Amino acid sequence: MKPNRGWTPYLFVLPAFLVFAVAILLPVLATFGLSFTRWDGSGPLKFKGIANYTRALHDSVYISSYWHVLIYVVATIVLEVLLGLLLAGAVSARPGTTFYRVAFFIPVMLPLVVIAVLWSFVLNPDFGLLNAGLDAVGLGGWKRVWLGDPNTALLAISVISGWIFAGFYMAIFYAGFARIPKDIIESARLDGAGEWTIFRRMKVPLVRGITEIAVLLCVTGGIQVFDLVFVLTNGGPYNTTEVPTTYLVKTVFRDQDVGYGSALAVILTVVIALIGLLYSRLRRKTSDVEF
Amino acid sequence: MRLSRLASVVAALGASALLISGCSSSSGGGTTSASPSDQVLRIAMTEPGADVVKVWQQVKSEYEAAHPGWTVQYNFQNDDIYSTVGLPSLLSGGNAPDIYFEWSGNRLQTRVADGYAASIGDQLKAKGVTDKYVDGAFGGTTVDGKTVMLPLAKDVSNVIWYNKDIFAKLGLTAPTTWAEFDALNAKLKAAGITPYAMGNKDLWPAGNWNAHVLSRIVGEQAYADALNMKSPIDSADWVAAMDKMKQIHDSGWINDSVNSISDNEGYTLFFTGKAAMTPIGSWLVDVRNGQSPNFNMDWFNLPPIDGGKGNQQSVMGVSTGLVVNAKSAKIDQAIDYFSVLSGDDIQKAFVKAGGSSLSKAGAASGLNPLSERLLKLIETAPEIVSPPDTGYNLKVADALNTATSAILGGAMSSQDALTQAQQKIDALK
Repeated sequence: MKPNRGWTPYLFVLPAFLVFAVAILLPVLATFGLSFTRWDGSGPLKFKGIANYTRALHDSVYISSYWHVLIYVVATIVLEVLLGLLLAGAVSARPGTTFYRVAFFIPVMLPLVVIAVLWSFVLNPDFGLLNAGLDAVGLGGWKRVWLGDPNTALLAISVISGWIFAGFYMAIFYAGFARIPKDIIESARLDGAGEWTIFRRMKVPLVRGITEIAVLLCVTGGIQVFDLVFVLTNGGPYNTTEVPTTYLVKTVFRDQDVGYGSALAVILTVVIALIGLLYSRLRRKTSDVEF
Repeated sequence: MRLSRLASVVAALGASALLISGCSSSSGGGTTSASPSDQVLRIAMTEPGADVVKVWQQVKSEYEAAHPGWTVQYNFQNDDIYSTVGLPSLLSGGNAPDIYFEWSGNRLQTRVADGYAASIGDQLKAKGVTDKYVDGAFGGTTVDGKTVMLPLAKDVSNVIWYNKDIFAKLGLTAPTTWAEFDALNAKLKAAGITPYAMGNKDLWPAGNWNAHVLSRIVGEQAYADALNMKSPIDSADWVAAMDKMKQIHDSGWINDSVNSISDNEGYTLFFTGKAAMTPIGSWLVDVRNGQSPNFNMDWFNLPPIDGGKGNQQSVMGVSTGLVVNAKSAKIDQAIDYFSVLSGDDIQKAFVKAGGSSLSKAGAASGLNPLSERLLKLIETAPEIVSPPDTGYNLKVADALNTATSAILGGAMSSQDALTQAQQKIDALK
């Protein structure tokens, strides 16, 4: 059945398009437009051509922020995805693990800022739980200014991130494992396979598609990390935990350099889009067995 | 085909960029017109304490009583929000404030350059407002010779606060020379007490302290020139000056956690006796009154540095005040408001509520002794040095403050830290 008027279908799309235009499209276009200007947020705009982009390419802090985020992403792939996978294997190996599943998932439900503040108390070098604990067990020599030492700050943030999100990936993998037909697992057990072998040789290969999505989520989410870094170190010490998002926020809100900040945002968007595109190209087809 | 589509997209985005530029340029001033569109005087400022807010409400009541039909509308915002995203959004948005709070230095100059600060000197004199203030109160409120701000306070941004009980116990007194200062630090360290506590996670606390030391050594003009990008920041003079901070790190005179804790956590270390001194601004009096009212503390200005090229009695400080929006159609009403605000009873009420006052009546009404001495210090200062983050380009300030933090953290030599700072500054040119 054809509509009476040619534009009727567009009317149905219009509400969704308006929401999209106001919430996404216009801000994106505005950011793109502002990236070619010099603007302090309130004064007159000055058109600067591609000067902001040239400046970004020579901005050592901005460039190093991508190295930091790369280290963070690699660390969180291990501490979030791999650990989540192992946790899912552990809690799916036997029944009666509801308590553990809930316990591991609880950090995911807490606001990131709350977690960051809590961990900043734990890691506080003067009265924090971690250093006090090390002292208590006779390991005082291991005490560190965890968030103030360039050698440990980024690692500490990655570990906290792992503590939060390993439970999230555990839930995803657990759901994947639950979809594997039980008879396959049972027959493996009858053939004498242990739980570790079943996990390594059967469960993990059978959730390969989920693993790929989990890694993609971890990578793209990692590049956008902000809350944890902002609260725990604010990019310090000496910019050694600066990531693109914290630098962008400082540029726009602290330095009131909206034009340059917009250019940084555009570059970050392009980088994330390219990584997503590259990842989807590299991703192998998983048509063998799907669960 | 693909190329032509791409060209269309780029053209569309470019057009939108120009559209945005055009729109923003024309509407950058918020809603202002030649004649007042309503009878509301909008005032934006950082959020003071509850007692001081009551005095602002008293000003509002007195103004409204004297100007029937007019309403005063306050917009109080958290300090950090106001100074970053808050004020620019208000100024460029609809119903822009007619009067707004601002800090002197680079921020105030930017407002003038952007056309958001009216010259009000003549009107203030005509209304008799200027005469109500103490000598020197209007220092820092002028740009290009024009008065553009009614002063509210003069904050000393950095002095050395010390724990009087620890000093008394060890028989120490406030140093009068840099050599005495070094000896004092050594004695404290030998007694097992960390000389300084500081929370420098946000860079400005140690940044202000070091900037004062630097200005004393390289001279105020050289300091200003470097921060204004007119001369290099990594010259031999600067490197030698930076070594003062390096000595503090190398001697273990400051808490190890300096770069990982916030300024508030630094104050807590000081108030709990974990260190004997903390170099910070005049606001520590208010923090002490709120957190640890019985804490026994006093302050001294940075001691003179032998061979320093700057004025060795200089004070690091900043003026704050209220600016009239040049794009407002209510400038006359704003001046009337200032007339009410500068009234003797109102200024006394501010002091009584724990706020500050630069008016003659307010200053004579009995400030907290610590605050009163601080006010005297800045009023009589032969040279006032602006902190990097309020007096100068914020990116330049960040480069210098990051260098300071790297030295206090023992991560770099003075030369390396300043070379890195200079590279960041060069990228801004």
